[in-house]
Amino acid sequence: MAQDYAEYLAINVLNEQQLISYRSLSRALKVHVNLAKQMLYEFHRKQNAKKPGSVHATYLITGIRREQTPAQTNGVHSQKDGEDTVMQSSPPLPESSAPVPEESAEEPVVVRSVLLVKEEHLAQAKTTFESITGIHIYSLQANGLNDVQSLTECNRKIAVDYASEDPLVAWKQYGTIQNPNVKRRTARKGPPPAAPVTKPAEVKLKQPAPAAKSTVPEKQASKDSNTNSQDSTTAASKRASKPPSAKATPEPTKKPAAVKRQDSNIFMSFAKGKTKPQKEESQSSVEAATPAAEPEDETMAGFSDEEDDAAEEGAVADVGEVANEPEGKSKRQREAELEAMMDQEDEVMEDASPEKSADGDEGAIDKPNSQHPQQPAKDTIIVENGRRRGRRRVMKKKTVKDEDGYLVTKEEQAWESFSEEEPPPKKIKAQPAASTNKSAAAKKDGKPGQGNIMSFFGKK
Amino acid sequence: MNGQDPSTDTSLLETPDMSTPHAVLDRTPSAYTPHPTYRLPPGSARHYQNQYADMYFARLAQLKPATLAIAADAFDTFSIADETARRVDRVLDVRQGELCWVVGTCYMEMPLKPNVLDDIGKEHWIAAPPTRVKYDHPSVALEAGEGAHGAHAGGTGGVGTQIMLEDESGRLRLTGSFLRGCLLVTGAIVAVVGTENKDGDFEVLDLRVPDLPRQPQRWEADDGNTALTGKKPGSKKKRPRAGKVAIVSGLGISGDEGDTLTLDLLLEYLLGESTSPADQEDASTISRLIIAGNSLSHASPIPSRQDVITAATKNAAKASGTRKYGYDSAAYNAAPTDRLDQWLASLLPSMPITLLPGAQDPTSTSLPQQPIHAAMFPHSRNYMAPPTATTKDGDGEEVGWFDSQTNPADFTLDGFRFLGTGGQPVDDVYKYIAGEERLEMMEAMLRWRLSAPTAPDTLPCYPFQDEDQFVIKDCPHVFFVGNQPRFETTLIEGPVGQAVRIIAVPRFKETGEVVVVDMETLVPEVVRFEVFD
Repeated sequence: MAQDYAEYLAINVLNEQQLISYRSLSRALKVHVNLAKQMLYEFHRKQNAKKPGSVHATYLITGIRREQTPAQTNGVHSQKDGEDTVMQSSPPLPESSAPVPEESAEEPVVVRSVLLVKEEHLAQAKTTFESITGIHIYSLQANGLNDVQSLTECNRKIAVDYASEDPLVAWKQYGTIQNPNVKRRTARKGPPPAAPVTKPAEVKLKQPAPAAKSTVPEKQASKDSNTNSQDSTTAASKRASKPPSAKATPEPTKKPAAVKRQDSNIFMSFAKGKTKPQKEESQSSVEAATPAAEPEDETMAGFSDEEDDAAEEGAVADVGEVANEPEGKSKRQREAELEAMMDQEDEVMEDASPEKSADGDEGAIDKPNSQHPQQPAKDTIIVENGRRRGRRRVMKKKTVKDEDGYLVTKEEQAWESFSEEEPPPKKIKAQPAASTNKSAAAKKDGKPGQGNIMSFFGKK
Repeated sequence: MNGQDPSTDTSLLETPDMSTPHAVLDRTPSAYTPHPTYRLPPGSARHYQNQYADMYFARLAQLKPATLAIAADAFDTFSIADETARRVDRVLDVRQGELCWVVGTCYMEMPLKPNVLDDIGKEHWIAAPPTRVKYDHPSVALEAGEGAHGAHAGGTGGVGTQIMLEDESGRLRLTGSFLRGCLLVTGAIVAVVGTENKDGDFEVLDLRVPDLPRQPQRWEADDGNTALTGKKPGSKKKRPRAGKVAIVSGLGISGDEGDTLTLDLLLEYLLGESTSPADQEDASTISRLIIAGNSLSHASPIPSRQDVITAATKNAAKASGTRKYGYDSAAYNAAPTDRLDQWLASLLPSMPITLLPGAQDPTSTSLPQQPIHAAMFPHSRNYMAPPTATTKDGDGEEVGWFDSQTNPADFTLDGFRFLGTGGQPVDDVYKYIAGEERLEMMEAMLRWRLSAPTAPDTLPCYPFQDEDQFVIKDCPHVFFVGNQPRFETTLIEGPVGQAVRIIAVPRFKETGEVVVVDMETLVPEVVRFEVFD
């Protein structure tokens, strides 16, 4: 051990010309700081005995310094009294029991100084002290220290190099004052995964296990939604298409159920033309839609990635029936809400040409659209360059003056042409997706400006 | 070894002896209970549409009884030329020539107070009017020339300070040479005795303030809690000897590396790593650190109007893109908060910390400033209390090891009541009062029973509706104010035996001083960290 520190210091201070403080030494050699200070002293002494001036030191002196210029509180008072005009200055408040300022002169305050000084100024600094309670070496360096501020480098390095140490465990050996009452929480696993919005939903690929299971619901989903044997899938699809309000952290328990639902949902949106090719994508969309589906039901208990994985594994068996039970009540609400939402839906995907690309956030829109083919046929939408153009049906108000001179306002339907440059309503994007498949993400990012979900498929 | 002073501990300037173990010290525990006095209701429960006048009325209603009691004692026997003073209920009820006394709120009309016209001026002129050191306009003939604080006469045509007394009924102008000897600011509740003269002004002959409220006994809060929770208070539970508390303010961390050496020295001292064994033992008695504001030097990411104007004039030639008046997230520099967080996280394993925000800290600017959010401290967050789902305050919350507090802050430490601010109220009172005696101003604030008397007049604050939270209900044992130009302290006494230790904590960045208060005697001392040059 005795050899270690001399060796360590020789390497670092002399050879590598680094700045070593007692703290760095104690951390490196895992010794008490007081011992490290002594080591520094010994090394300094020996080296300078061999070759004077080879190693420079800085010292830390604690004690009481001699009184200097108005650094004391009292000094200021005496100055001030002369300066202030008599009228406005410090007469005591009525009822004040504290006498005028001179009172503070009665209780001298103890001022202890902790002074960092380079060795060349050491003697001089010592003379400024009235009494010294302690002195030790703070740091060593090979050449003279130009800028004392560079000593902050030592502490910075310690923070970086030893960041992995747990202070409550490791610092005892360094001699830091221990506190038995310290309360510390366990750290969470980092920030929650940003509830990525949807899109990638479709593309997200789950692990093989759930994926395998999901093929079952997928097949089901690929059939027309109405022929779905299970309520769950319908419910699932409905919930899935309810993304707007969804803004959730994935809920572990519901996840598996949602997974299935999402599968069917995705397939329903692709029902018009594509099936197989979409399989992979739909799997991933399941993920994305899953979190989205959770929203209202679950309380935001917090992010727990760990739980997600566990839940997936666990509940995969439930093909949704069981998982759906708890949501039975809200399912109705959801369906109602979905209906309402669908009614507002403007675009209908007439040209549901088979397309590969899965875009999570479009998938949900697809679903309501596909379910309501009864929109007026004239409501055509042409997609050009990703813009929606066409004619649509709107309610227009007409104000006419009738024979009595009254202004009458009538609401009637009318056709108007429109063109849009904005991407489809962002509500779909609100679907949180726990993970995103790269391709889906890429696709999604690449086309922010398109309005028509089918346009994605059209491109490929 | 040095042969100078026998008390010098030079044991560390010796050859290391591997066999003798070095002591590892334990820190004295700290009994700490914060009070939620200055917490605002969260989120949508805060209403900013309220009128500020309600705050004044509430304040008057709260303090009137105490003031009446004191004034009645003093003025009921006040007589001049065989006429005894008569108490008058409303300010407007004073009659000419009649000796009477009345209680009301003081309002100071000062020519250089911030004025909405100044804001308009800023829009039309290149430079804002200079910030005022004092609000009083010096050219009025009250005192012999103190020099100009900025020459312009303002919108009031150079009229000097006027002091008025106000209550629900109206305002009354106060005059008289007695007033010159009094410390008064807007918002202080006072009782004055005198008579109305022929100009309609009230000539003041004497003045009384509510003075210090009742001071709780030491350990009263803790004992009260144990009684409430049904536990047997026990036979005077023997409490261990309390340690010391260190108070620092104005760390001023700015992310530059230039001057953080004293911060490091402070950290090492508090951790008990630096200095000799005797001093380390001393440091181990420091049971808590209180940071009283301004830990960061410039924490607002939103440029003030002034910054935008200077930036615009600088860039005028370059004609750089869009001018961002709001928050430009690209301009955020995380270095200062990161540095602060690292510093705190290095100290927390050993010592509990209470953090008060200050004028330059990233939290609300209006008083009471709410605690700095845990999101600012990714490393130190683990030592804070976990966020509670319910909004119930008081009992529901757990006190964290690292406690982010409001400004002003009200807490009980080792049985003693502490009241502390980050300095804004005192700095604002300073602007009203000619003279430099900050300790007197702090004492006055306690005697007025207001922790922020000039709110809401010149100090932005939350519009309290039912009750003015700035009224001090229990007299603290220690009143500390951060970010003052130098360290000052005094002990004041109250009419029923209260004793308060007032401490003005200097800015660490400028002075390198930390105040250490011994909790058994409440006597402060100063530890100064310096680098010799």
